[in-house]
Amino acid sequence: MLALVLALTGTACSSGSDPSASPERLSRDDAQASLASHPPLPTTTKIHRVHGRLPDARRKAVRHQVGRVVDRWWEAAYLGGTYPRSTFPSAFPGFTAGAERRARSDKALLTNQTRGPHVDSVTATHRSVALDILATDRRARAVTAHVVLRFESTGDKAGTTTVRGRLFLTHRRGAWRIFGYDVAKGSR
Amino acid sequence: MTSLHLVRRATKVVVLAAVLAVTAVVVPQSTVKPTDVSLVRIRHAQGVAVGGADVVWILAVGSDARPGQDMRHARGDALQLVGINTRTGSATAIGVPRDSWVSIPGHGREKINSALYFAGPQGMAGAMRNLVGIEPDYVMVTRFPFFEDMVDDIGGITVTNPRRFYDPYLKKEGFKQGRIHLDGYNAMAFSRIRKALPGGDFDRSANQQRTLRGIHARIRSQASKPGFIERGVMTVMEHMATNASPAELYELAQAVAQVDPRRITTCVVQGRIGFVGAASVVFPDVAQARRLGHEARADAALEHC
Repeated sequence: MLALVLALTGTACSSGSDPSASPERLSRDDAQASLASHPPLPTTTKIHRVHGRLPDARRKAVRHQVGRVVDRWWEAAYLGGTYPRSTFPSAFPGFTAGAERRARSDKALLTNQTRGPHVDSVTATHRSVALDILATDRRARAVTAHVVLRFESTGDKAGTTTVRGRLFLTHRRGAWRIFGYDVAKGSR
Repeated sequence: MTSLHLVRRATKVVVLAAVLAVTAVVVPQSTVKPTDVSLVRIRHAQGVAVGGADVVWILAVGSDARPGQDMRHARGDALQLVGINTRTGSATAIGVPRDSWVSIPGHGREKINSALYFAGPQGMAGAMRNLVGIEPDYVMVTRFPFFEDMVDDIGGITVTNPRRFYDPYLKKEGFKQGRIHLDGYNAMAFSRIRKALPGGDFDRSANQQRTLRGIHARIRSQASKPGFIERGVMTVMEHMATNASPAELYELAQAVAQVDPRRITTCVVQGRIGFVGAASVVFPDVAQARRLGHEARADAALEHC
């Protein structure tokens, strides 16, 4: 709700992580246990440009809704859950079924799977989303989300990871869904 | 059921994954500790799913409609059946000469370019299905002036021209051999000129495929620029008649952008020149057309032309 209020009042939308995907849980092995804690750094979501005409209220709604879709993926794929771990079974909420099938074969890039077993915790340091919106008949039809996520990891493979790229979304069955991606990931 | 529905099949599919790896050397600002130089490995993944099946088929039609004439009910002079495999990143174009003598659903045998005039986009899709064996998911019709505008809107294209040729009406100074940049008008002329080519309509269809490659290369190189795809979709909606919704056009544009240029294959259906009455026609090699359709249907790739 906080995110919704912010979306309705600001020009840039800042949404916190999804409470249902809260990472604040202990791992099963207490010897390795650590809190995959990260400060509640909000995601800054802004509209780069609207192509076509779209009323302000709908712009804000799109910004909020798409920001939430991106947040859910980041939480499921990189930031949420307990570390260390090697599996990311539900890493693609908000993806279409076809895109999820494809994304599963790109898990090394689209999740933190490769470093997950060697990491004790992750902390987001940058979360930003910029939207290009395609609108016709005063309705949003498609969105390109330009995303940047940066997070610090502690553990054997401590370092900084940056995930940057584009997500492609269309509105299906009452929700914005990711049908494609073009994403790069780098760590140091 | 409307013609729209008859032509449209459920958009399907899945995706592709092209994974490439690049590395970048990050040098710290301080030179005090040169050992801090680190190697950052950056990896890249891309994929698009635009429906339920791996391959989406689009029939691209260049209509010769005159000003004021409905371009969906004029002669279809440029005919390219384009398949895009969103899983593998491959794409193929099967070109059909406009004078090909084929069966048009509900209208008997006629030149295929008249299918649009007699039966609209649905009839053209049916004629293509009868010849090649593939029914397109989408039909996109444009007229040549609109085609010129679209090419200009994306900044022109570059094509590889295998031979010098000219036309006294459309291009007096001619097109030189080699890689050439074309603006909208020249892309239109390059795609339309027929009489100056040794293979006539067959070579013209091959030139249209070179134009499609140029358009693809331009889209792919610009796709990551914020707003490029969105502006392109707006332009297409302005200049084309299509059964695709705006969201579907956006999905198709992203699918096109992810096609690997090394995995594009093209072929023109061959045939022999003959006459029906006084009309000069092409009797297409139906066996070849069916073989091409059979080979490309599942994966949008051709091994043999």
